Amino acid sequence: MKEEIQFILDVSERIFAKNIDHKIRLDPEKNHDTLIKEIRESHLTKIAVKEKLGGAGMNLVDIIPLIKLSAFYGVPIPFVETIICNYFFSVFDTKPTDDFISICYEESGVIIKDNKVSGLLKSIPYLNFTNKVMAKVRYNDDDYLIFFENKNSYLKQIHNFLAEPRYDLEVKNENILFKEKFPKEINFLNILANLKSIQATGAMEKVLQLCIDYCSNRKQFGRALSKFQMIQNHISEISLEIAASGASISVLESSNNIETNRDENFSNDIKTAIAKIRTGMASGKVIALSHQVHGAMGFTKEYDLSYFTKNLNSWRNDFGTEIQWQNSLGNYFLKQNKNLWEFLNH
Amino acid sequence: MSQFNFPFEEETKDLKDLRLKVRNFIKKTFKEDKITPSPDAWVFSTNPSFSKKLGDQGWLGMSFPKKYGGHQKSMLERYIVTEELLVSGAPVAAHWIADRQSGSQIIRYGTEDQKKNIIPKITSGECFFAIGMSEPDSGSDLASVKTFAKKTTNGWKLNGRKIWSTGAHLAHYMIVLARTTKQVDNNRHSGLSQFLVDLRLPGIEINGIEDMTGQKHFNETVFDDVVLDKDSLLGSEGKGWEQVVGELALERSGPERFLSHFVLLDNFLNEFKSKMSEFSTLSLGKIIAELQSLRIMSFSIASMIEKKHSPEIQAAFVKEAGNNFEKKLIEIIREMSNLIPIQTWSPSLKSLFEDATLKIPSNSLRGGTSEIMRGIIAKKLGLR
Ligand SMILES: Cc1cc2nc3c(=O)[nH]c(=O)nc-3n(C[C@H](O)[C@H](O)[C@H](O)COP(=O)(O)OP(=O)(O)OC[C@H]3O[C@@H](n4cnc5c(N)ncnc54)[C@H](O)[C@@H]3O)c2cc1C
Repeated sequence: MKEEIQFILDVSERIFAKNIDHKIRLDPEKNHDTLIKEIRESHLTKIAVKEKLGGAGMNLVDIIPLIKLSAFYGVPIPFVETIICNYFFSVFDTKPTDDFISICYEESGVIIKDNKVSGLLKSIPYLNFTNKVMAKVRYNDDDYLIFFENKNSYLKQIHNFLAEPRYDLEVKNENILFKEKFPKEINFLNILANLKSIQATGAMEKVLQLCIDYCSNRKQFGRALSKFQMIQNHISEISLEIAASGASISVLESSNNIETNRDENFSNDIKTAIAKIRTGMASGKVIALSHQVHGAMGFTKEYDLSYFTKNLNSWRNDFGTEIQWQNSLGNYFLKQNKNLWEFLNH
Repeated sequence: MSQFNFPFEEETKDLKDLRLKVRNFIKKTFKEDKITPSPDAWVFSTNPSFSKKLGDQGWLGMSFPKKYGGHQKSMLERYIVTEELLVSGAPVAAHWIADRQSGSQIIRYGTEDQKKNIIPKITSGECFFAIGMSEPDSGSDLASVKTFAKKTTNGWKLNGRKIWSTGAHLAHYMIVLARTTKQVDNNRHSGLSQFLVDLRLPGIEINGIEDMTGQKHFNETVFDDVVLDKDSLLGSEGKGWEQVVGELALERSGPERFLSHFVLLDNFLNEFKSKMSEFSTLSLGKIIAELQSLRIMSFSIASMIEKKHSPEIQAAFVKEAGNNFEKKLIEIIREMSNLIPIQTWSPSLKSLFEDATLKIPSNSLRGGTSEIMRGIIAKKLGLR
């Protein structure tokens, strides 16, 4: 898989580098045509789909570097969301679509009747871009994975301070195009939380690069900002946080899988918690310090930095903040009858 | 950006077995020899007979070639052993420096004779080392050292003074960084060499310095016309700086940079696990996440060293992030005791806590200060 993923990363990087700039990020609706076309032609969104269904046959662990890369480039469309949705189609041996799809985790009052769905689906990214949604919903004491096309439901944009546009959707009797009972052994929350931790690491690496570039070029007092020890200190601290985050992601990368549900040792849950906590802590510091070293320029919409720091702000809150995961992780330990070192080396 | 990748493999069954074996050995030996755990034991807790026992188990000089008495084990196996020793607060200070850095330095740069004479004694736990880098006027600015080794017909004559040399009073050898030619202004790093100095030679005086905890673990070492033979030069004349930089990566990247006070945390939890408030549970979650991330970094660096990479920036990451973590750890333990006043702790826990609190300021000084670590990181990022 190593060689294959490297090839895919090279292809992706070429597509991202050529087609994404800050203008496109700010106005994805107008400028995304070639980006979409090239992503489609390269079948990148089917990377985690079984080969017999037309995919590349990778698993969610294999594709971690691609998720990171897409966040580094700030891909302004539901690229990773679509990869995950297609992965789920593949789990059920269903052929994935060629469209982009958004994904929903939070819902309330969902009713499924005569193959139609109604209810409130919350905080869905990119509904300005696609009207296709995959959601995990609970109905009659069962969890379902459903897929539908949003035709006549009410859309409300929320959280518009975030870089990724998010929407609440009041769903009214939309036709269900795909419905399966959600597999008990797969942990949807962990998958999505891991996704955000991985994306955050990619975005932080981009922020570091922006800091280094900016401070090396901008001069004050007759010297580049990068020559000031205080500024160097801020940037070193950013990189320390990224290194620790990278390590927490390495654990995910070394796993057999990141999707199965809890075993007796909570081993996947622990990895997910560690990554979400460490990247969440890091994001807070990296946001503050990177804005500090950029001066007023970083505070403008015009300049790249804010796109990435808004994403970081958003991702650290998605699928459990680090505080909530700290609580879970602390409790995993307290509930087991092991001393700390045994727990850490389960 | 590869410096943020920490390639990591899950521990194999063999490594897990090794962990248990070391753990059981420590438990048994602590009981038999009435050893109590102490924080920062790799600097402060010396017990040559314990070191010898580790040597007998094959747990010193683990990665060194067999022909010099080593065991040709991987750096990962060594990593496991060091972690287990650290978390149990075992008395490892006597051999720590020899096993961690001096031995590797000899394997890498030493002559055949140096290797044959010294390495077997390191691996058996009978030969201890001190680090001769800092001087009264050269701390962070290590390249400014003034200790001078003058070439003679039969070898060298060494003059100068080293300071803060941990364990020099017990050590058999010190690797001394000295000038061998006068400093030229445009290249401060040239003209330095490393020497393997037998501390029993005439002209050497070792004076203990009492630290703020009242212990004498570090020293001033004075060299007054010390006659060294030709074979005392370690590595190449004039290449001391390059050599010392590699040695520092070994010194900085290990788990002692974040596990020195684990015994305190462990004892605290053993005593109060059932009394944790919701607030303490949050803090605990944070500590676990930070600690595991640091372990991954350090473990991954061990495999980089195994593959002969030179992880200089990564070593600085571990040292700096690890030291920050340990300082925070003491504060967090105080916070976690919000419902459990310190006055009600058991005497042994209280004494661990007081000991750790006193020792903690030294951890971001020894092995290079925080400010210097951050400087190295900035340089590697291209800012300087
Ligand atoms: C417990 C302990 C054990 C030690 N063991 C050994 C040993 O075995 N062998 C050995 O050789 N040494 C040893 N040392 C010495 C240690 O390496 C030095 O203390 C360290 O390198 C700092 O030097 P210094 O103490 O002279 O401080 P200084 O270099 O004088 O620094 C004082 C302060 O100024 C800051 N500073 C200095 N230069 C800069 C700069 N360019 N930019 C920003 N800030 C700067 C430092 O970061 C620090 O905060 C030990 C120290 C301790 C505390």
